[in-house]
Amino acid sequence: MPKSRHREGASRVDLRDLCCNPNHSCLTPSRSGTLAAPMNTTAAAVRTTALDIRYAQVGLLQLKLRSTDPGAILDELTGKVATVPQFFRQTAICLDLAELEGEPDASEMRGVIEAVRRCGMLVVGFAEGPTSTELARTMGLPVIAGFRPQNAAARAPAPATPAVAAAPVPQPLPALIHTQPVRSGQRLYARDRDLIVTASVGAAAEVMADGCVHIYGALRGRAMAGVRGDTGARVFTREFHAELVAVAGVFKVFEQLPAELAGQPVQALLAGEELRFARLDG
Amino acid sequence: MTEIIVVTSGKGGVGKTTTSASLSCGLARKGKKVAVIDFDIGLRNLDLIMGCERRVVYDFVNVIQGDCTLKQALIKDKRLETLHVLAASQTRDKDALTAEGVRRVLDELAAEGFDYIICDSPAGIEKGAHLAMYYADRAVVVVNPEVSSVRDSDRILGLLASKTERAEKGNGGVKEHLLLTRYSPRRVAAGEMLSVADVKEILGLDVIGVIPESTDVLTASNAGTPVILNEGSDVSEAYTDAVERLLGTELPLRFVDEPKKGFFARMFGG
Repeated sequence: MPKSRHREGASRVDLRDLCCNPNHSCLTPSRSGTLAAPMNTTAAAVRTTALDIRYAQVGLLQLKLRSTDPGAILDELTGKVATVPQFFRQTAICLDLAELEGEPDASEMRGVIEAVRRCGMLVVGFAEGPTSTELARTMGLPVIAGFRPQNAAARAPAPATPAVAAAPVPQPLPALIHTQPVRSGQRLYARDRDLIVTASVGAAAEVMADGCVHIYGALRGRAMAGVRGDTGARVFTREFHAELVAVAGVFKVFEQLPAELAGQPVQALLAGEELRFARLDG
Repeated sequence: MTEIIVVTSGKGGVGKTTTSASLSCGLARKGKKVAVIDFDIGLRNLDLIMGCERRVVYDFVNVIQGDCTLKQALIKDKRLETLHVLAASQTRDKDALTAEGVRRVLDELAAEGFDYIICDSPAGIEKGAHLAMYYADRAVVVVNPEVSSVRDSDRILGLLASKTERAEKGNGGVKEHLLLTRYSPRRVAAGEMLSVADVKEILGLDVIGVIPESTDVLTASNAGTPVILNEGSDVSEAYTDAVERLLGTELPLRFVDEPKKGFFARMFGG
């Protein structure tokens, strides 16, 4: 399998980990869409060096801790991970200690980090806060502040190109379009964009997107939209026979297909904490 | 140009070896030079179905490991001059197969002027099945009209589209065909069995043939005669049609409708 990893900022992850088809188009690294590099001479000169420093829009999951009990953490996390396991696997986690009573010490923290690791996630830093700086230094982990463009410009290491201070709004990525049937056992993940499948999704197949999931065919497997927390995302299908549908982690399993939905064009959306299903008319 | 056809399914017991044997005979009967290879190392059945189990001296693994030449291992069929069988090893297991070894054997068969190489895949998705499909140009996916077989075939279709040399190199992909076996029109009419249309809808592919359920299959395998050679039986006709479609001729599907009962049969039962 070709191993060319093109990392443009921390938000790009090798989708081969998630998508079982190594030749799939979602692996094309050229459609970056994050902070566009300006075509000026500084950028051109930088391109010939060994590395590039850029500011990436990082989507980082935060774990807000209310307890440092590793057992409790393991229990609760395992439950949450079970809902969307492939989404959580090897995900970067930032620990927010703001709601803890008192300052935890390094050994307590190690227990917490181990518990998180056992659920398949990786702690990459601490959220900015009163207790985090000392602790972060002891543990050798960074303190991660919320990303604000003006702060980024202030801390920009040389060469600071004018484009970084202006921080152009990242262009939304066009949808990932998949034209072949998604076969049983295959998994498809559209990161940072919508997913459009113009064929059917087989039983025990999984299709996921950070945005919406559109299936212009039959949905017989699992469809998960808004996988990284977008509660406004929806799932659409022309023929509803789904095994499981989820939006932003809220899921529903279909042991029996309700008569009014079975085989019909259906959309699924999140209304508050509840997943609602509706016929698509017309 | 040698064409490599894999007969696979995912699910076990659906009729892969029966189909491999019959398709090979059907093609050989039309004058093509055909080699059929058993990839089920350790659980070999192709030699039994072909009726040459007592003539296996060297097998596929022997050839891969260089213990013998390909010519020494190939068994010539007694009924059809242009048909040759390469049996699997019964004493080894699938770890004895290597991708390079399989490639060498297939290349050597191509060099010998074989028109078709039929690879009889084992059930499952492990090494044996993977290597049987890896170098294929075409695939015949054998499906029973039954939910677990359809599910497994869907999985196999996914693997054919991604884990084969043609898929990885992007030179056209493996051409996929469905073969529906053990089809009972009576049970389909009674709503007990998936119909041809149901299977086509779920798997998204047209069928290259429908083989009716028949006691002839068991009889044939016991006799060591591939069922296509059993002249006059429905199964034999269905396989013959399938061979024609494989070669590009379009034929209407037979044996998919419940036979209409005549007046006397309806009056007096039967």
